[in-house]
Amino acid sequence: MPNHIVTDFDADLGGLRHAIAEMGGIAEKMLADSTTALVRDDATLAQSVIESDSRLDALQRDVEERGILIIARRQPLAVDLRAIVSAMRIAGDLERAGDLAKNTAKRVLAMTGHTHPRRVVAGVRHMSELAARQLKDVLDAYVADDVEAAKVVWSRDGEIDALNNSLFRELLTYMMEDARSISFCAHLLFCAKNLERIGDHATNIAETVHYLVTGEALDGERPKDDRSSFAIIEAPAGVERA
Amino acid sequence: MNLQPLAIEATPASGTAAAPRIVVRDLDFFYGDSRALKGINLDIGDREVTALVGPSGCGKSTLLRTFNRIYSLYPGQRATGSVRLDGREILGPDIDVNELRARVGMVFQKPTPFPMSIYDNVAFGLRLDRRLCAADIEERTEQALRKAALWDEVKDKLKAPGLSLSGGQQQRLCIARAIALRPQVILFDEPTSALDPISTARIEELIGELRRDYTIVIVTHNMQQAARISQRTAFMYLGEVVEAGPTSRIFMNPTDRRTQDYVTGRFG
Repeated sequence: MPNHIVTDFDADLGGLRHAIAEMGGIAEKMLADSTTALVRDDATLAQSVIESDSRLDALQRDVEERGILIIARRQPLAVDLRAIVSAMRIAGDLERAGDLAKNTAKRVLAMTGHTHPRRVVAGVRHMSELAARQLKDVLDAYVADDVEAAKVVWSRDGEIDALNNSLFRELLTYMMEDARSISFCAHLLFCAKNLERIGDHATNIAETVHYLVTGEALDGERPKDDRSSFAIIEAPAGVERA
Repeated sequence: MNLQPLAIEATPASGTAAAPRIVVRDLDFFYGDSRALKGINLDIGDREVTALVGPSGCGKSTLLRTFNRIYSLYPGQRATGSVRLDGREILGPDIDVNELRARVGMVFQKPTPFPMSIYDNVAFGLRLDRRLCAADIEERTEQALRKAALWDEVKDKLKAPGLSLSGGQQQRLCIARAIALRPQVILFDEPTSALDPISTARIEELIGELRRDYTIVIVTHNMQQAARISQRTAFMYLGEVVEAGPTSRIFMNPTDRRTQDYVTGRFG
């Protein structure tokens, strides 16, 4: 796209993109580190995830303030206005993704010292890898204005949801089998839910990229496969009901 | 909302939400040998504001000037093709241009009050109509000043010269002068480019009011103004209508790359 006649306008929009890129980097690292902290039971790493959230929050405020200032100063239209609205939306999604990673990190601190059921932790790690890939791919799509890449991310969200469903069932089974695992497993349930929500934010960003590039909403039913809200696991025979 | 782009190549050009009041087909315009408009097809809807935007020299004022044939005051200027107002061809030789200009009023970039009193400025055109008696003229003058949102400011000084008013008031006086003749269409050629922001806001508010009763076509260089006050926008470039459609689409998601570059300030 050709440059604006007013070169400062290009610098303003570039500044927004730069801030989003930095937010994306922080959110990706928080996501990866929170999962590593969980898998390794690493309180120090969890603490550093919690601390890095404030930078993400500050950047989100920065993007919002810059966006409002550009609108007030330059009265942008068409793709420029969409770029500003999109940056503000994406900043919101990344800030929330960071909050969710931070929540997982806090739970790591709460779970310190508990024995981790390996299979479940492996499941959470797999979910985290899927969420990380979604986040990375959607941020790449944003940087490249790539609608097709954004659509791929959008249609792939079902994988994370499916994994969340199976983890949910597995964790319920653990809890029913061994009441001592309830506290730990409840935390893990939330960690899995956090990852599922991060996947949703990546999907939101994919929709925003579509709007940014085409000016139109991404039509069609989004592939939702999170059925954990409806899941019921019957207690196996011999387990007493409360 | 109709989000389909107006098919500017095809005949008939469809897509206006309102019934078209002015229908332009294959319009060419010449200043001597120089072709300023090239095959314009455009529908202007009734009781809505249509904005013509585009860089200087793109032909938007020329197009506006065909709607009341004001160009025919100048030798060497001619239009070919078709411009129909309510189904009636206005480019033909048999048209009474005085009657046409009473039906299609025009307001210019710089306020052009006559060197006479506020009252006489508005009554001037009415007095040319021999059918109107003095009481009718008085009534219609007051009505016009009220509609132009100027009455309260001038009712106590109607004998004062029109030129004693502020720029914004002078522009509203010119609007009152056009309205007094009870036109069907009002053409605005950059009506606020010489005004301060407050006067501009008053004129914009007024145009919004006038839309209920009149078909309005406005040429403006201010993209945000076009976005604020018009329902439909036509983007012109090098004598052609590049893209026309609902204002919301033209300014949020234009189809043509040239429109996008222009409205976002990338060329022009």
